[in-house]
Amino acid sequence: MMTVERQLQASPRRIWYRLAITLIAIILIGWSVGAVSFKDVNQSGFQIALNIWKGIVHPDLDLLFNVSKQSILYLLVQTFAIAFLGTIVGGILSVPLAFLAASNVVPRPVAWLTRLLLIVIRTIPELVYGLMLIKVTSPGPFAGVLTIGITSIGMLAKLYVDAIEELDVKVLESMTSIGCTTFEKIRYGIMPQLLSVFLSVTIYRFDMNMREASILGLVGAGGIGAPLIFAMNSYKWSQAGSILIGLVILILLIELLSNKMRAKLVKG
Amino acid sequence: MYDKLFPPKPIVLPSGKNVYQKRTRLPLIVLILIVAIYYSVQLTEFNLHKLVNRIGEFFVLFDEMIPPNWSSWHELTGALLDTLQMSLLGSLLGSLLAVPFAVAASSNVVRSRVIVALFKTILSLLRTLPTLVTALIATFVFGLGPMAGVVAITLFTVSYVGKLLYEQIENADMGPFEAMESLGMTRVQAFRNAVFPQVLPGYLSTSLFCFEGNVRHAAILGYVGAGGIGLLIKEDIGWRDYPSVGMIILALVVTVYLIETVSEHFRKKLI
Amino acid sequence: MIAFTNVNKTYANGTTALNNINLSIEQGEFVAVIGLSGAGKSTLIRCINRMHDISDGQLLVDGVDTAKLKGKQIRRFRRRIGMIFQSFNLVTRATVINNVLVSLVPDMPLWQRVTGIFTRNQKLKALEALEKVGILDKAFVRVDQLSGGQQQRVALARTLAQSPDIILADEPIASLDPVTAKLVMDDFKRINQDMNISVIMNIHHVEIALEYADRIIGIRQGEVVFDGRAAEVTKDVLSYIYGGKMEEAAASAEERARHVR
Repeated sequence: MMTVERQLQASPRRIWYRLAITLIAIILIGWSVGAVSFKDVNQSGFQIALNIWKGIVHPDLDLLFNVSKQSILYLLVQTFAIAFLGTIVGGILSVPLAFLAASNVVPRPVAWLTRLLLIVIRTIPELVYGLMLIKVTSPGPFAGVLTIGITSIGMLAKLYVDAIEELDVKVLESMTSIGCTTFEKIRYGIMPQLLSVFLSVTIYRFDMNMREASILGLVGAGGIGAPLIFAMNSYKWSQAGSILIGLVILILLIELLSNKMRAKLVKG
Repeated sequence: MYDKLFPPKPIVLPSGKNVYQKRTRLPLIVLILIVAIYYSVQLTEFNLHKLVNRIGEFFVLFDEMIPPNWSSWHELTGALLDTLQMSLLGSLLGSLLAVPFAVAASSNVVRSRVIVALFKTILSLLRTLPTLVTALIATFVFGLGPMAGVVAITLFTVSYVGKLLYEQIENADMGPFEAMESLGMTRVQAFRNAVFPQVLPGYLSTSLFCFEGNVRHAAILGYVGAGGIGLLIKEDIGWRDYPSVGMIILALVVTVYLIETVSEHFRKKLI
Repeated sequence: MIAFTNVNKTYANGTTALNNINLSIEQGEFVAVIGLSGAGKSTLIRCINRMHDISDGQLLVDGVDTAKLKGKQIRRFRRRIGMIFQSFNLVTRATVINNVLVSLVPDMPLWQRVTGIFTRNQKLKALEALEKVGILDKAFVRVDQLSGGQQQRVALARTLAQSPDIILADEPIASLDPVTAKLVMDDFKRINQDMNISVIMNIHHVEIALEYADRIIGIRQGEVVFDGRAAEVTKDVLSYIYGGKMEEAAASAEERARHVR
């Protein structure tokens, strides 16, 4: 009887709660629909869409395969290099931050402050970092590496923190009983636990960074982005098409490779 | 292949037993990493010396952003709301569109191998396109403004939510599905009643998570003219009006933090 | 030989865990320590390898006064005493052999300790230890792919690779199913008999304790209330050790026994 009554009392509140959430959701959705506007869509928009499609179907293959410093191939490799080095830089920067944000390593206030810092780092848009870092390094791929490095920190550190907080500390007790020093406990008890998770997360981020690196050219931070945007802005769709095809193939290949490597790390 | 080039090393125990240890791949991996790092440093003109010497410039810029220009608040709110509007609508449309794509890409629901492979390919192709590039293309077709941003975010959301959703559907327990088919339901009905309830919480949670990310992505779309706060960032940096940039960043951080907190609250409830 | 003389242990919060313990355990004995949870079994075992400090009295292990050891001496002292835990305490993301090799780490030169490169002889030693507990074929498999019983054997091999004189076991079979538990207990018995290693084990399963151990020590509220051969343990003795809660214990023991068969 008691449980039935309690249930009866509990249910109306849930209904109001759900109703309120639904109402808020509907209002938000209704408001967001305001962003739809077809007033600028006209004949030329359709024509451009058609041209883009034509460009992608008939790419400028010569541009794709010639081997000079301006060629797509060179710039794709450079984009790869930016993402690769940037991921390493980001990974290195993230490790100390992750330990400072792990509530089982440092006191709570320190962890909370570091987390706040991580949110700030993560929220500043990539292009803003790009523009700021260009003032440090002058335009070029070096700025791109640093940008990717900093933008990687937000996600990498967050996932590293999860790994650190899930550390199995029971193994340390057994190492104490074996007669291990603190250094040995870290080296053989903690590092093996963290290393594979850190690596797997970092490889995943590298995969994402390929995409991020491909737009850095927009602010002059190197890579394939600059010629891509340039080709599109000057309506050279066959050029844009060939660049896009190269980029898509490269990103797909890396995703495939990264999935394989991560599966291997997880299964051992 | 590696195991054939370097066959596993036998270790003979005193008791006469043989144990085969696979050759470690560590030297190969280290070699590849070193070569890749070396060439990457060459290609990207990475220069530690320059970095150490000039990193101060980076913080000088930060310094100029503080204190932020509080009075730029008024022009900022409109653009910020545009950004939110774009990402909300894009996420909504994207997650809705993702459902048919994901179902068509699930090998345990659709019998035709061709259709499954086709939709999986579409989703991964969509995912490779950087949002900014889609946004730029969208500005050509839909004109400058938030509409282009909505399209770009929608496409990204379809690819992201679609992929995670078909993985969930493929991992769902198919027992109830079979049971309902055996009751005489059509495949669609069985899917609606057996698989859908299993993947719903995961789907909602993924969509919310994607929305969080989209707010951050949407912030730069204005840079190519696709509406929202990105345009303001571009202008303010162009004018070297760093206090205003600081204000934008502050507003973004607060907004993103609020959205993430609320969304995280609901995601935890869902799972 | 392990000799407790008037040993007391009081925790910082004032609870007395051990009260005037006097025991003497010869090399090669198989001792099971039984008693209620919280009676002080764990504390007793952990004092032997200085995982806990005693508050009062004297504890000699092969003539070494454990209370007088400091820093590095404690670590060297622990090298001769293996320890097994209820939850195995292995690095699950590492391979079996790497877990066993950890027990050799403290004896390695610095460069080896930093790089984690092991010599052929060290690997041989680890593999031999794995052979003794019958899981040689799993040597290069990752621990997280093993069953609970196999994991406890890895832990046992890790301890054996240390070539200990004494093995302390804290509820080694508490998280295993009855059949696996018997297999692991067989391993303990064999190691005890073939290698003359003393085994001192905390254990909840009374009937298994009586079956495997030579000697039973009953602990109640920090005091030794029984110390004798397994054959001497009667129902009255058990009811005294488990102070009133015996009916409950007997019932659960019976139930467990039924599961074993």
